[in-house]
Amino acid sequence: MDEAITLSKVVEVSPTTRHEGHSKLVLKVNDDGIIERGDWISITPVRGVEKLAIGKTMEQVPKIASRVCGICPIAHTLAAIESMEASIGCEIPEDAYLLRLILQCANRLHSHALHEILALPDMYLPGTDTKINPFSPEEPVRSVAKRIQTLRMVGQTVGEIVGGEAVHPSNPRVGGMYTNITPRARAKINDLAKMALPLAREQMEFMIAIYRNFQKRDWTEVGGKEIPIPKDLGYHNQGYMAVDPVYGSSSLDENPTWFPERWTEVRPWDWYMGEQEITLEDPSYPVGGTTKAGTKAWPQMEACTGVPLYDGQPVEVGPRARLVQYKNYDEKGTIGQHIAREMELMDAVYKMIEAADALNCSGAVVPDVIPQGDGSIGWAANEAPRGCDTHLAKVRNGKVEWFSMLVPTTWNFPTCSRALEGAPWQLGEMIVRGYDPCVSCATHMIVIDEDNRLVAEKLLE
Amino acid sequence: MDELYPEIVIAGCGNMLFGDDGFGPEVVERLKAYELPDNVKAVDVGLGGPHFCFTMLDNGVTKKLIIIDIVDFGAEPGTLTKLRAEDLPPGSYRDAHSWDLTEPLTRLKDTIDIMVIGCQPKNVPSADFELSISKEVEEAIPRTIQVVLKEIGVENGNS
Repeated sequence: MDEAITLSKVVEVSPTTRHEGHSKLVLKVNDDGIIERGDWISITPVRGVEKLAIGKTMEQVPKIASRVCGICPIAHTLAAIESMEASIGCEIPEDAYLLRLILQCANRLHSHALHEILALPDMYLPGTDTKINPFSPEEPVRSVAKRIQTLRMVGQTVGEIVGGEAVHPSNPRVGGMYTNITPRARAKINDLAKMALPLAREQMEFMIAIYRNFQKRDWTEVGGKEIPIPKDLGYHNQGYMAVDPVYGSSSLDENPTWFPERWTEVRPWDWYMGEQEITLEDPSYPVGGTTKAGTKAWPQMEACTGVPLYDGQPVEVGPRARLVQYKNYDEKGTIGQHIAREMELMDAVYKMIEAADALNCSGAVVPDVIPQGDGSIGWAANEAPRGCDTHLAKVRNGKVEWFSMLVPTTWNFPTCSRALEGAPWQLGEMIVRGYDPCVSCATHMIVIDEDNRLVAEKLLE
Repeated sequence: MDELYPEIVIAGCGNMLFGDDGFGPEVVERLKAYELPDNVKAVDVGLGGPHFCFTMLDNGVTKKLIIIDIVDFGAEPGTLTKLRAEDLPPGSYRDAHSWDLTEPLTRLKDTIDIMVIGCQPKNVPSADFELSISKEVEEAIPRTIQVVLKEIGVENGNS
């Protein structure tokens, strides 16, 4: 054992790119560059939303929750609101549920289409050794990019119609929705969805063909080198966790599909590698090379998220988890994961149409009485684009006493870490991207160069 | 069909969970009290500017993008500045979802008129959440609104 460790080299990719937030890969590799042990960890500091939520009203907390991430505001808004409803024991009217379902589908459509832009640069134009630049003005890529943009536009426009805002939805509220939509707005959703349907089909077929083509390749180029692609790229033997094919579950359900008693959380200290010295570096690795040799990495200290386990093991959440759980989908690996995501595109549009058809535009969307809560614990799990997003809350007299968010990528960190094993280290990021990770968010501020080379034009005294 | 993003887009960027970083969204929130022309849309994009807004402006309709954000340019807190897309240091609005970390504004700036109205912040906590805008930045909000209204050609009468 000790001997094997001394033979291994350690390489670090930091930060990983083309996903939300900050994370890194610390990889122990053998002489052939094959990953023997991989740790993929979040290096975004923990922000303490739980602490901030205490004492706030049950209407405020979902708004706070929706701000922890720049790409998942819809999922966090819905999960947080529904955790409040679960705590206070508030059933929402059917038409409010239908509006939320439309919002959910709109979010998924937009997010999956966006992920394609992220995944395509790893893929090849079939029959060539040219990787795909999704911003290329040339065909066939140009038409594909246009289709992706149209699908995103439909997802976001429908989200705005139902959610009230283009990015951070303002219409959902504890108890249901602030307002129903007009028949005209519903007709517009139908028009948009029906326009999107054939495009979603074409896009799914195109993407699956691109992924299948990649599976036939023996190598892929990374940093000017031909890296062999293992047939089991991204395979792991962990299980899956999903609560619904489309929407979610909560503790108010007659038969809930998430089980808090099966969830435990361990510290990064118990799970990730101890202090390592980087002994392998590759300046040609895109973008900007790997971490310099001699640098220290300490995954168990640096990891910013706890490690959630389900039945004592890490699990995968996301599109494939949903397909495995509800459709007996059985393709493993990174490509299987990408294909599962594509297979969800159509259903997002079908469900949007079904829900819009079923919606009664003059139905009530908020109950007459909204209970204020007695401090009971409630949870809601939303099947966000990236996987099961569970929020837990205790509300008493309209105020939040306790709140916790168990977000999808937190589940996927340790699972994906297992999936790294056996792959050439240069493909580690590709495996990570299969999870469409969302690593939480930070602040945003532009910092102008200290030497004031960029002279700012002051507007006002 | 109404466009998701019309001719003029005002995007309030930032995160209200980080003190003064809530400036952009707060300006947009208050702009909504004004009657904006049909060709103008003010959006609280939060942290999602690059993926929910900037990368969606290649729609052939949008001509102007006004970004409201905090900018550290070494001035007194609450001071406002106007920047062009080419003044922005690399990585300012990096879309984590984009190819090779190319910035969406770089791709947009030749076809769309981009302006950033920035406010020097006083307090942006780096680790813990903090839900409050400082007095200095708060006082800059009405001034910012006047600047925006002037920029989009709306007469407001109380400037």
